[in-house]
Amino acid sequence: MTDLERRYARWTALFYPAGYRRERGSELVDTYLSLAAPDRKRPSAADVADLAVGGLRQHLRIAQGLGPGFRLAGVLALATLAACATGWAIFEAVVPWAPWFPQRGPFLSSLGVPVWAAWLVAVVVYVAAPGRWFRGAVGLAVLVTAGSVVLAAMVPGVHRPPLFVLLPQVVLGIVALGAAGRQPRWVRQLPLAAAAAIVPVAVSTAPRFVFSGDFYYEAGATALPAAAVTLLIGGALLAFGLAARHDHRGVWALLILLTPIGMLALNPLSAMLDDTGPGRSIIPVWSHMVGASVLVLMVGLVSMPLAIAARGRLPSGGRPVHTDAVRCPTCGAPSASVR
Amino acid sequence: METPLREPTFLILTALAGEPLHGYGLIAEVDRLSGGRVSLRPGTLYGALDRLVDAGLVRVDHEEIVEGRLRRYYQLTEPGGEVLATETERMRRNVDAATARLRAIKAAPRLSGGVA
Repeated sequence: MTDLERRYARWTALFYPAGYRRERGSELVDTYLSLAAPDRKRPSAADVADLAVGGLRQHLRIAQGLGPGFRLAGVLALATLAACATGWAIFEAVVPWAPWFPQRGPFLSSLGVPVWAAWLVAVVVYVAAPGRWFRGAVGLAVLVTAGSVVLAAMVPGVHRPPLFVLLPQVVLGIVALGAAGRQPRWVRQLPLAAAAAIVPVAVSTAPRFVFSGDFYYEAGATALPAAAVTLLIGGALLAFGLAARHDHRGVWALLILLTPIGMLALNPLSAMLDDTGPGRSIIPVWSHMVGASVLVLMVGLVSMPLAIAARGRLPSGGRPVHTDAVRCPTCGAPSASVR
Repeated sequence: METPLREPTFLILTALAGEPLHGYGLIAEVDRLSGGRVSLRPGTLYGALDRLVDAGLVRVDHEEIVEGRLRRYYQLTEPGGEVLATETERMRRNVDAATARLRAIKAAPRLSGGVA
């Protein structure tokens, strides 16, 4: 084996899944060697880049259920954001205002109304037009949400939902884009069903609070972690149920949902970072919230590539190259004869 | 397989419409067919071949050992031939339409600018 061949083999081993490498590694390396100039000692940068892209494609190819996993995660995320938007919209409408709070009408004093309305519009659009229109509606809802943060910072006396409520909503919205495209009617109606299911809970709970610009903190400390746990348990049950039928999309969906689940659980996660002891506030301090959200984002971003790479290391992680060629019945090596 | 085909995919199918070819032969044939414009690298080629095999448009025809190295030969399948024929016909119609327009322009050149 020449130095050049050894180097190509090393790069192939680094980038490609184990099963694919066993099946096609030598064929791949031989083709590179056939194309290499006689005096070449090392693979060119372009060849290394080609191997990296080719290896990534193979990892994605063998990650069975990844595409359907994105769609499943999208539907679950959309159902969760529909429930959240409905609950918060009911709170905005039902929670009585504190008599001492400067009231200028719900549309003027709280930007929560247009924010939740925009997300609910996206949920309704999904039922009728789950393709381009739905993507547009989600984009609009994200813009309205971001705009509410900017507007509240510029106009004094105008309140908006806090960031630990808005951030999970935006992350859920981004994941929900995976649900875009053709889906059966009952799947498209699932988010509406989740929104309907939350109505009695929100209507019965909302009167216990008083609107003074901060009911989100009290309600959010319980409601959002509850949504996180529900999504986690629901996703895990689906993953186990589907995995029992050798369908891996549930596992991928659960991995994808880790980020929105973490964002919904920002409050308790931030409290874990808070070491001020038993006297600490019910609302974690800003710096701990930022720390927890960055941590959740990093875990979410790293876990997917790691899972895809780990899938490639599994012994069954490669689709066989179908061949009609004659093989040796004893050792399985390809026959030297043609056809 | 989504249509219209991308140019490298079209050229791979075209190259395989002849006799079965192994990886290096396929790269050389695509280079020749495209007049040197499309030079596939092995990682790209085998990625495309895997997709075509998955789609049933290409199959492994046979394998042989040459100087101790395995050579795997690929061949166009019947569905692959049909896709190639459909795609060729689509491109031919486009070429015909464009050619007719260009002939019309040459036959009756438009005046540019105003009347002096």
